[in-house]
Amino acid sequence: MNESRPYRRPAPKDWWAKAPYRAYTVREMSGLAVAGYGAVLFAGLYSLSQGPESWAAYVRFLQSPVSLLLHAALLAAVLYHVKTWFQILPKTMPKLILGRAPVAQRTITRVATIFAGACSLALVLITLGVAR
Amino acid sequence: MPDPAKKTIELRILRYQPGVDAAPSFGTFEVAGAENMSVLEALQTIKDTLDGSLSFRWSCRMAVCGSCGMMINGEPKLACSTFLRDLPPGPVTVEPLNNFPIERDLVISVGGFVKKIESIYPYIMPKEPKTVEQGPYRQTPAQLAAYESFSDCINCMLCYAACPQFGENPDFIGPGAMALLQRYNGDSRDAGRQKRLDTIHGENGVWSCTAVGICSEVCPKSVDPANAVNQNKTNSAFDFFLRFLRKE
Amino acid sequence: MTGPARDNRSISPIFWLLFGAGGMLSALFGPGLILITGFFAPLGVGLPENFLSYDHALAFAQNPVGKLAVLVVVALFFWHGAERLFLTLKDMKAGPSLLLKLCTYGVAAVVTAAVIALLLAIGF
Repeated sequence: MNESRPYRRPAPKDWWAKAPYRAYTVREMSGLAVAGYGAVLFAGLYSLSQGPESWAAYVRFLQSPVSLLLHAALLAAVLYHVKTWFQILPKTMPKLILGRAPVAQRTITRVATIFAGACSLALVLITLGVAR
Repeated sequence: MPDPAKKTIELRILRYQPGVDAAPSFGTFEVAGAENMSVLEALQTIKDTLDGSLSFRWSCRMAVCGSCGMMINGEPKLACSTFLRDLPPGPVTVEPLNNFPIERDLVISVGGFVKKIESIYPYIMPKEPKTVEQGPYRQTPAQLAAYESFSDCINCMLCYAACPQFGENPDFIGPGAMALLQRYNGDSRDAGRQKRLDTIHGENGVWSCTAVGICSEVCPKSVDPANAVNQNKTNSAFDFFLRFLRKE
Repeated sequence: MTGPARDNRSISPIFWLLFGAGGMLSALFGPGLILITGFFAPLGVGLPENFLSYDHALAFAQNPVGKLAVLVVVALFFWHGAERLFLTLKDMKAGPSLLLKLCTYGVAAVVTAAVIALLLAIGF
């Protein structure tokens, strides 16, 4: 009898760059945009702490085309984060039973995404309303 | 017009004979009349007519036993329910499941997986055992629905072949065993939730998972093991802080 | 019946919960925040002239509720990005685990401390 001599195939080191795992890597990278926006706000807080001139420079930066482009890119990446975040949401919770059957994960994703849209919209409208 | 039933299909199969081959290498086989065969039938035809030494696992031929999982054109599939006519034209590549040690040809080592299944108390642990006279443990349809999909697992290990984190860490409990854990933890008749949860708080437990999610996509039984792993990440995370409040 | 030896409880839940909180906060309010601070405020759309004035911004940062909002948003957004970047760098085998943690969790921790320090320095 042959004894067992199992052969271990090495996993490719670049699996994260290949299908079907590439989409996962891109999804994770969208977290950088969230932190990147945090960094923009942090820069604002720092400028504010340094006095009016420093703050004015920060505001000029926000008004520059570079900043507008940056924020457009951040917005696109964060919207992608919103989309994928709620795709995973049903995976992280117990099955939601309505009546006798579990609620479809698609439905949970859709409801949560609409709720998130409403939250952002409410934040914008309340800010515009309060500031007025 | 060529007769489609006579169509010949080429299969490239990863071969490995322990003690003879230093490393696996591909062998090529031409199977005639393969148009309407499943990959499993093609393998059986090769074993019967071309090379009797070809080794692979199979049993039920109907996607119930979970024995014939293998990589077909790079994707984890059940060979019995994958039909050659549904694959793109050209040679079909057949390899043993990814991330597992190869015993011989398409046969992989399953010992590690069996140990993981044993480790999570894979049976109902009732709070108070009933005698036969006291009657059955009753359950409503809604209580059944809470864990039913997880009880559909056939232990085919396709999810493990799809999991890059299991590939990186062979000790990671992985999607299949977590589906079984949730099958019992989600059962209203069971009282072993905490005991099972306490087996998966480590890096080899749920915390190797990064929610890649492909495990659920390749599952032939729609078990959704990613849901089992990730809802227990939530459970384990809360337990991390709430354990201090728990009365033993 | 005994299974494989159980490994120690992981401290990942700490980072995972911070990641989750930041992910949820940014998913719910991120787009709205970016629209306000990145477009409406600097372009003066729908907002009064003084919205971005030094006095107005300072008053916001001196208000306890404003302070809390700044701390929660900036810190959690960093912790969210840190967790995702750490796991991806680990997938890429970009370096030893300790180094990767310093470059991700470490940055988030330093930023969190800096935000607290700045908010205290700005005063009430």
